[in-house]
Amino acid sequence: MGLKEKYHEYHRPILGMASVIGLILLWELTLTYLIPVDPFFFTKPSLIGTAFREQLFGERLWRDLAISSRAFIWGFSLSVIVGIPLGAVMGWRRRVEYTLDPLLTALYASPLVALAPLLIIFFGVGLLGKAVLVFLLAVFPFIFNTSAGVKSADPLLINVVRSFGGKELDLYLKVILPGTFPYIVAGTRLAIGRGLVGIIVGEFYAASEGIGFAIQNYGDTYRLPDMFVGIIVLSAIAVALTELLRKAELMVAPWRAGEEIR
Amino acid sequence: MTGLTSFYREKEAYLLGIGFIVFLLALWQCVPLLITLPRGYALFFTTPSRIAATFYRLLVEGQIQEHFYVSVAAFLSGLGIAIAVGLPFGIVMGRSRTLDALSDPYVTALNATPRLVWLPLFILWFGIGIWSKVMIVFVGAVFPLLINTYAGVKNVDRVLVNVVRSFGANEWQVMKVVVLPNSLPYIIVGLRLAIGRAILGVVVGEFFGSSKGLGFMIASAASNYKVDVVFAGVAIFMGLSLILTLSVKKLENSLARWRPEAAKNF
Repeated sequence: MGLKEKYHEYHRPILGMASVIGLILLWELTLTYLIPVDPFFFTKPSLIGTAFREQLFGERLWRDLAISSRAFIWGFSLSVIVGIPLGAVMGWRRRVEYTLDPLLTALYASPLVALAPLLIIFFGVGLLGKAVLVFLLAVFPFIFNTSAGVKSADPLLINVVRSFGGKELDLYLKVILPGTFPYIVAGTRLAIGRGLVGIIVGEFYAASEGIGFAIQNYGDTYRLPDMFVGIIVLSAIAVALTELLRKAELMVAPWRAGEEIR
Repeated sequence: MTGLTSFYREKEAYLLGIGFIVFLLALWQCVPLLITLPRGYALFFTTPSRIAATFYRLLVEGQIQEHFYVSVAAFLSGLGIAIAVGLPFGIVMGRSRTLDALSDPYVTALNATPRLVWLPLFILWFGIGIWSKVMIVFVGAVFPLLINTYAGVKNVDRVLVNVVRSFGANEWQVMKVVVLPNSLPYIIVGLRLAIGRAILGVVVGEFFGSSKGLGFMIASAASNYKVDVVFAGVAIFMGLSLILTLSVKKLENSLARWRPEAAKNF
């Protein structure tokens, strides 16, 4: 009966893997035997696999990834540097929140990607234009999550620190920052998704290198297997980053597990 | 004087918030008066009053309406399909553990990746026109709906389900009496997120796979350095998403008054 118990314990990953393998087999077999594939419009796993091996040993994929991640890291770092302090002040000072909240909420809720053509024309098709776009999209989750975290600081704890003669700095380091940390980690996960949108749109719109450009370029030249490789690589990176942050979230705030909305 | 002070105290949040936006717009308007821009930058510069004038001109000429209808058609059909697909799938995934396990890898992978990467493929398959846009709106909007519906169904109180079952309810009645009412607040949250994603899809879809629509208007104006047309288009998208998201948010708050307010998340 050991086998059956094992199955019950791991039934989710087993079924998940089975369904992925099943889909790949079905896709391959259908296109090989039932409907002959028109390589201009569709492709099959074996061709994607070949393209994947070629790209893995080639140079272009790595160069594209390096270029995209450089723009991403610049924009993302800037949004951390700006977003977290701004959010902290907004959470701590009521009047600052009153002043900034309507403007920032309006900007957060609106599709700022619509500004992409202007930003690209203004800042150029290279690193700067993409980094600015990433910053513009990724900064808001940091602002609002940090602010929510600061506001969630327990007044009782604040009073305790004050009663024992703690200084303003102690307040920040011992109460506010630790309480805010889980919120910032959750914000980081949202910001990564938005930042990736920025990179992709920036590179679709006007670029001569980068992973987004590669995907679009392969699409324009009907090289579907190569295009799927780009999409798969990008998905793998996105899933890895998101799952990593989800794990980090569970580590810093186990009590919030399961209550969040993706 | 005291009347004014108490008025200020009462409305401080609104006054400061709106005042700051007005202040920024006024500052923007005054930039050309305060400093002379170098010729290269003047090409990219515009003021709120010029944007408003352009907006009015485009409205009178009927250009905005023409693009607007195209965008709205793509938005509504994509969102409609997403609702029609996302809700049933979310419910089924929430009720059946096997189907949940089978589809989990795809949902996780597709949800983590910005769905815009599929745009070149959709353009290749469906050509430049409404269908590639509808598809990109659909794949953007379907996951928030599906995942939130799923979360709502999963979150149903087992005790309530058992009670209804004990009284002889079948699966459909369990659904109607317990599962759906419980999931509704989650579905509304999903709808709000889906609207944001759908608008994003319309904008980006029209940048690349279109010859009409507000996104196309923005992109083509930008490449002709008509900065005020770009801002007029951006303003329409901003207004649209604000109206839609805030009204769904209102609905959300009235449906789920007992839930604590979490961090904003669009």
